[in-house]
Amino acid sequence: MSAVAPSTTSASGGAATSNNNNAQFNFFKMCIGRPVVVKLNNGVEYRGILEVVDGNMNIVMEQTEEYLNGQLKTKYGDCFLRGNNVLYISAQSKK
Amino acid sequence: MSTEVASPPTSNTPTTQILPLELIEKCIGSRIWICMKNEKEFVGTLLGFDTYVNIFLKDVIEYENTPEGTKQIKLEYILLNGNHVCLVIYRSSVIIID
Repeated sequence: MSAVAPSTTSASGGAATSNNNNAQFNFFKMCIGRPVVVKLNNGVEYRGILEVVDGNMNIVMEQTEEYLNGQLKTKYGDCFLRGNNVLYISAQSKK
Repeated sequence: MSTEVASPPTSNTPTTQILPLELIEKCIGSRIWICMKNEKEFVGTLLGFDTYVNIFLKDVIEYENTPEGTKQIKLEYILLNGNHVCLVIYRSSVIIID
């Protein structure tokens, strides 16, 4: 009895994670090549065209603009953001 | 006597136990409220999450609590890093006590 119960729970858990990874993967696919807003933990915001993103939320962007308190500070052609600094990645849906 | 006391919990656990992430999974599609470790909160419709509790949300409002007041930012889709997530609350289960 006790041997059966853990196996069923782990099976359902596994199915759940695969679905959710799909959701995340779909989000990445949805965003690539489109304008996104990336906010970092320190409050700095980066707006640009998303080139590549991975599971660690490492991000490569093009035409990047750096905003501090809503004010444009710097522009970068290409930039790489290390994933540990990322608070969120935000995208708009297609019109 | 002591063995009898020890046995009931083990017999109860398999039927009643639910994993923490299963609880979040049940919230998929509904509005949730996320409190971060710092003074930030997010309210949005849960679309998905992973084992790190990175959270994928739709129609989001970000609340930032500053000394000057609460700042609201509206966002359409976000993938929120799970690193700073503290609390995930099912929106209609909230009872605010003054």
